[in-house]
Amino acid sequence: MKEITEAMWKEIDDIIQGHKGKRGALIPVLEECQNVCGYLPMEVQERISKGLNIPGSTIYGVVSFYSFFTMVPKGRHTIKICLGTACYVRGGKPNLDYLQDQLGVEVGGTMGDLSFSLDSVRCLGACGMAPAMVVDDDTYAQVNRQNIMAILDRYR
Amino acid sequence: MGRISRDQLNEIKLRGKGIIDIRLGKVSVRADGEKHLMICGGTACHASRSKPVRDALKREIETRGLSQRCKLIETGNDAFATLAPVMVVYPEGVYYVHLTPDVVGDIVSQHLIDGRPVERLLYRDPGSGRPIPRMMDIPYFSNQRLVTLRNLSLIDPENIDDAIARDAYQGAAKALIDMAAEEIINQVKISGLRGRGGAGFATGIKWELAAQAKGDGKYVLCNADEGDPGAFMDRSVLEADPHAVLEGMIIAAKAIDAHQGYIYCRAEYPLAIRRLNRAIGQARDYGLLGTDILGSGFDFDLEIYQGAGAFVCGEETALMTSIEGKRGMPRPRPPFPAQSGLWKEPTILNNVETLANIAQIILNGGDWYASIGTEKSRGTKVFALSGKVNNSGLVEVPMGMRLKDIVYSIGGGIPKDKRFKAVQLGGPSGGCIPLELLDTVTDYESITSTGAIMGSGGMVVMDEDNCMVDIARFFMEFCQEESCGKCTPCREGTKRMLELLTKITEGRGEMADIATLEELAEMVKDSSLCGLGQTAPNPVLSTLRYFRHEYEDHILERRCEAGVCPDLFKARCINACPLGQEVPGYISLVAEERFEEAIRLIRQTNPMPGVLGRVCNHPCMDVCVRAQTDEAINIPKIKRFAADIAREKGATVPFNKAREKKEKIAIIGGGPSGLGAAYYLSLMGYKPTIFEELPKLGGMLRYGIPAYRLPRDILDEEINYIIDTGVTVRTGVRIGREISVEELRSTYDALFIGIGAQRSQIIGIPGEDMERVYGGAEFLRQVELGEPPDIGKTVAVIGGGNAAIDVARTCIRMGADVTILYRRERKDMPASAEEVEDAIAEGIKLKILMMPESINKTNGRLTITLHTCEPGEFDKSGRRIPVPVPGKVVSEEYDTIFAAIGQVSDTGFIKDLDLRRGRVSVDRLSLKTNLDNIYAGGDAVTGPAMVVDALAAGKRAAVSIDRDLSAKRGERPSVEQHEKIFVTMKVPGEIVEQGMARAPKGSPHERIKDFREVELGFGGETVKKECGRCLRCDVTIE
Repeated sequence: MKEITEAMWKEIDDIIQGHKGKRGALIPVLEECQNVCGYLPMEVQERISKGLNIPGSTIYGVVSFYSFFTMVPKGRHTIKICLGTACYVRGGKPNLDYLQDQLGVEVGGTMGDLSFSLDSVRCLGACGMAPAMVVDDDTYAQVNRQNIMAILDRYR
Repeated sequence: MGRISRDQLNEIKLRGKGIIDIRLGKVSVRADGEKHLMICGGTACHASRSKPVRDALKREIETRGLSQRCKLIETGNDAFATLAPVMVVYPEGVYYVHLTPDVVGDIVSQHLIDGRPVERLLYRDPGSGRPIPRMMDIPYFSNQRLVTLRNLSLIDPENIDDAIARDAYQGAAKALIDMAAEEIINQVKISGLRGRGGAGFATGIKWELAAQAKGDGKYVLCNADEGDPGAFMDRSVLEADPHAVLEGMIIAAKAIDAHQGYIYCRAEYPLAIRRLNRAIGQARDYGLLGTDILGSGFDFDLEIYQGAGAFVCGEETALMTSIEGKRGMPRPRPPFPAQSGLWKEPTILNNVETLANIAQIILNGGDWYASIGTEKSRGTKVFALSGKVNNSGLVEVPMGMRLKDIVYSIGGGIPKDKRFKAVQLGGPSGGCIPLELLDTVTDYESITSTGAIMGSGGMVVMDEDNCMVDIARFFMEFCQEESCGKCTPCREGTKRMLELLTKITEGRGEMADIATLEELAEMVKDSSLCGLGQTAPNPVLSTLRYFRHEYEDHILERRCEAGVCPDLFKARCINACPLGQEVPGYISLVAEERFEEAIRLIRQTNPMPGVLGRVCNHPCMDVCVRAQTDEAINIPKIKRFAADIAREKGATVPFNKAREKKEKIAIIGGGPSGLGAAYYLSLMGYKPTIFEELPKLGGMLRYGIPAYRLPRDILDEEINYIIDTGVTVRTGVRIGREISVEELRSTYDALFIGIGAQRSQIIGIPGEDMERVYGGAEFLRQVELGEPPDIGKTVAVIGGGNAAIDVARTCIRMGADVTILYRRERKDMPASAEEVEDAIAEGIKLKILMMPESINKTNGRLTITLHTCEPGEFDKSGRRIPVPVPGKVVSEEYDTIFAAIGQVSDTGFIKDLDLRRGRVSVDRLSLKTNLDNIYAGGDAVTGPAMVVDALAAGKRAAVSIDRDLSAKRGERPSVEQHEKIFVTMKVPGEIVEQGMARAPKGSPHERIKDFREVELGFGGETVKKECGRCLRCDVTIE
C-alpha cells in the first residue's frame, strides 16, 4: 500500500481545518484529501472523522457510495475508458477488454508497478468523439486498438 | 474595475460592441482588417488535439507581428464535434475544420495576410464535394435555431466583458431593478419554459411554489450533474457561456427570494468547473454576485459543489442530500423541495439549459419565447446527437421538429451506408424510436407517446449493427450500478431485470423471461422512490415494444442478428450469412489449398456455391471486421474460386440422405427458395416435387439474372446436383391451370409456395400500356426463353435496382443504345454500386433526378416526358424525396421503354391466402401461412430480395415442415449431421494494410458483344493473398 507521508498528513490536517464548521463539508474534504494521497485508506478516514466530528461509519458510507472515492491507491496515471452510450455503440467495450489484456489489470485495478490504473467511466460527455478515453486530465477521441497503446506510451 | 452599477454595465456593453460587430459580420471584410479567430476549446475539441493547433496559431501570429490585428480566442462549445478541431474567422464567418498544426502557416499567410480563405481547409458538402465557407451556410447549422446556444463561437468564456457585450446581466439588471418577483415568475410562466433536465415540469410553476413557501434561507440550485450517458449539452453551455447560467440563477433567486445558490457540477467535467470558477470570480469582482448587486439592494452569491461520481445525484433530492455531505440517496416526496429542500429550506433546482434561457426570457419577454416551438412545448431544445451518425455534436432546434430531419438533414444520416435502426432519446430513462416513427416531432407529449422520453437531450443513433437486446441490457446495467440501494423495488428489481437480460444475451433465455421482465418493469416503475428506478425499465419496455423479434430470436433461435452478443455467434460473417456459411473455415482451407475439404465445408450449408459465389449480395462483407483496418475480405470470390476449382478437378461432394420418410411435399416454384426447400426436404428423406411453370428450373436465377452474370452451365450443374438428391420435377406446369390447389392439397402432405415476384410493378403513368413499353422482368424472361421482342436501336430503362441494370446491360448486348432513367440520385440507387459501375463502363447512360410523367407516341416513335427533379426532404429510408422542378420538363424519344421499378407476386391462384401488402403473410419463424399445411418463403413473402435469402428461406421452410410432419408422426424432427472438417485455428501474425483483391473483368467494349461471363475469377496467387487477409474471427483463445 502506498505510504502517507508526514507532508501529506499536514495537508490533510489543513484541509480539515479549512472546512471545519461548514455544513456539508464532508464530500469536499474527502475530495481534497484524495487529491493529496491518491486514495482514502482507513487511517485517513479516521483522521477526518476525528477532525470533523463525524462518525467513522458515516464517512465509510460516503466513501463507499461515490465511485470517485477509492480505498485502493490509484496508479500514477489513471486511464478511464468511457462506456457511455455513444462510446459503447462505437466500440468502447472492445477497447476496455483490449487494455485489460495488454496491461494485465482488471477494471478498477492498478498495475503492480503503480504506473496505470484502469477504470471505466459512464459518459465523459465527449460523445461526438466516441469511443473516448481519458488519461489523467487529457481526453482522447476515437481510440482503438491501433492507436491506444501509442497514446499510453506517452505517459510512461 | 471593481463593483459596477447598471450604468457601468451598459458602458461595458457599449465598449464591447465593436468587438461583437466584427463577430456578427457587421463590418466590411478587408484583407488587412481586424480578424477574430475563434478556435473551439471545449472538451471534445481538446480531445481532438485542438490545443497544439491553438498554440501553433498563437506562435505564428506573434512571429508574423499580427498580434494587434488578429485576435485568437479559445471558445467553448462542441457544436459540430465530428469536424473538430474547428475555428471560425470573423468578420468573414469562415469555418475551418479538421485543423492540424501544420496548416497554421497557410491560414496565417493566405487568409490573415492576403485575405484569401484557405479553400482546402473548408467544410465540404458530402454530396457535391463543394466547399461551404461560411459556418451559417452549412446545413448542419442553418437548420438549427440558436437560443440557448446563441453565443456559439462568439465569445471568450473566460472574459466576462465579452459576455456582457452580448447582453449578459442585462436580464438580471431588469429583474433586480425593474421587476417585482411576481412579474418575473409571470414572464417565466408565459414563456412556457419546461424543465430541460428531462422531467419537463413547468419552470414558472416550480418557482411560484417556492416563492410562496415560507423559509429563512431559500436556495437556488443548478443541476450540472448531467449524468446521462450520451448527453453533453450542459457541459457545452458551461464551457462556452457560463455567465448565462449564473445570470439565470440570479434572476431565479430574485423570483423566489433566495440569497444563496449552488451549482452541483459533476467532477467528470474539469474544464466546465474551471471556467465556472473563473466566471464566478469575474462576476464577483464586478459585484454581480454578492451583496447589493448593481445597486439593486439584492444579495445573492453561489458556490460550486463538485459531484463525486454518482449518477443518482442528478435526481433532485439525492443532489440535495449530497450537498448536505451525505450519501446521495433520494427522499420521499412530499414534502417537495419547493417547500422543504436543501437543509429543509424551500429550494428550486433547475437544469443548466433551463437556467441558460431565463435571461433572454426576461429581456425579450415570455411571449417571445412562447412564439417558438409547439403549443405544449415552447421554445427550443438542445440535443446532443451522437452514435451512428455522420454529423455528431450539439443541435438546437425549435420544439416540434421531426426526428427524421434531425437525423438526416442535420445529422447527415448514417455512415457507411448502414441502415438506420433506432434513435435513443432520454438515456437510461428513455426509450428508442424506430424507423416507422421517425416522423415523430420533438415535443414532450409526442415523444412520450412513443414510449420514450424527451430526457435531457441525449440522442444516440443506432444502426443495423447494434443489438437492441444488448442495448437494453447496457442501460439496465448502468441503472443497476448507479442505483443507490435505498428502496427495494429499484435495488432488487434492476438486479433481477439485469440478470434476465444477461441471460437472454448469453443464449440461455426462455420465452417466460419476457413476461417476467414486463412484470418486473411495471413493478419497478410503480414503486420506486425516485426517478432513477421509476424510469430504469423504460429502455426494456421500449425495446420490447418495437424490437420484440430480436428478443424472440435470441431466445428461440439463439441468434443475434446484429452480431453483437458474443455467446450467440462465432464470427460476424457467419452470423450475417442467411445460410450460416462457415466463412473463416473455408477461407482457411482454400489458403492451405485443401480444396476438396473447402468445397465440402461450403456445401454443408450452401447447395449452390458456384451461383452464390457469382451473384450473392454478400451481407457477410458488410460486417467483415477487416473493413475496420482497410477493406472487407472479398468473400464471395473466394467461395467462387473454391467452387470453380472443385468443378475443374471434377470433385464431387457426396450428400447424405436421412432415413426415407413417406410424406410428399409439393413445391410451387423452381426458383432458389423452392430449390432450397426441395434440397433440404430431400436430404431429410422426404419426397419433394417441384412444380415450375417455365420450361426450366431456376426462377430468377435463370429468367432474371442474365447469363453474363451467371453462366448457364454453372447454374444447370448446381440445379442438377439438387435434383439428383431425389427431387421430382414437373416443368411447364402452372398451379391453377394444369393442376388445382385443391388437388395439390389432397395429394401432398405439405405445400411450399416459392413463386417469387415475377410481375413488373406498374409505374402508374399514362401511356404505360402502349406498344413497346415492357416490364423489365417480363423482358428478361423472354430473352432467356429465346423470344426477345424487337427493341429497336434506342432503349430507355426506368428504374434503379438490379433488375433495371440487368435489363439495360442485356439491351446493350443486343446492340441498342441504352439510357437508364432514375428519379433519385445515383447513390440512392438500390442496385449494387458495382453493377452500376459495370453498366456505365459498358456505355450505358445514366440520367438521374428524372421522374417519368407520361408516355406518348409521336410519328410512330415513343416519347417519354420526364420532369427534372431536385432532392427534397428526407424520407424515412434516409434518401431524399425527388421534387419535380416546376417547368423543367423534357421529352425524349426511344424505340422501346422498360419499366423496372420493382416486382410483385401473382398470388391469385390460391384463394383465402392471407396477404400483407400484396405479399404472402407468414409467421416469421415457421414460415407457415394462414392455411393448413401451406408454407411460403422467398420473394413471394419478402418482395424482391437476395438469392441467399431465398435459399435460406427454403431451408427454414424445410425444417419447419419436417418439425410439423414429424410431430404428427410422433417422431423427433431431423437433426442435421455434418462431417467434422478440421480447420487450422491460427490467427494472422502481423497485419499489413492492403486493400481488397478485386476480380478482373473482361474489357467493356469486348464483353458486350455477347453474353459471356463478365467477371473472371481469381487466380491461385491472388486468392491465397486474399485469404491471408482474413483475421480469423472464429478463433478463440482458451
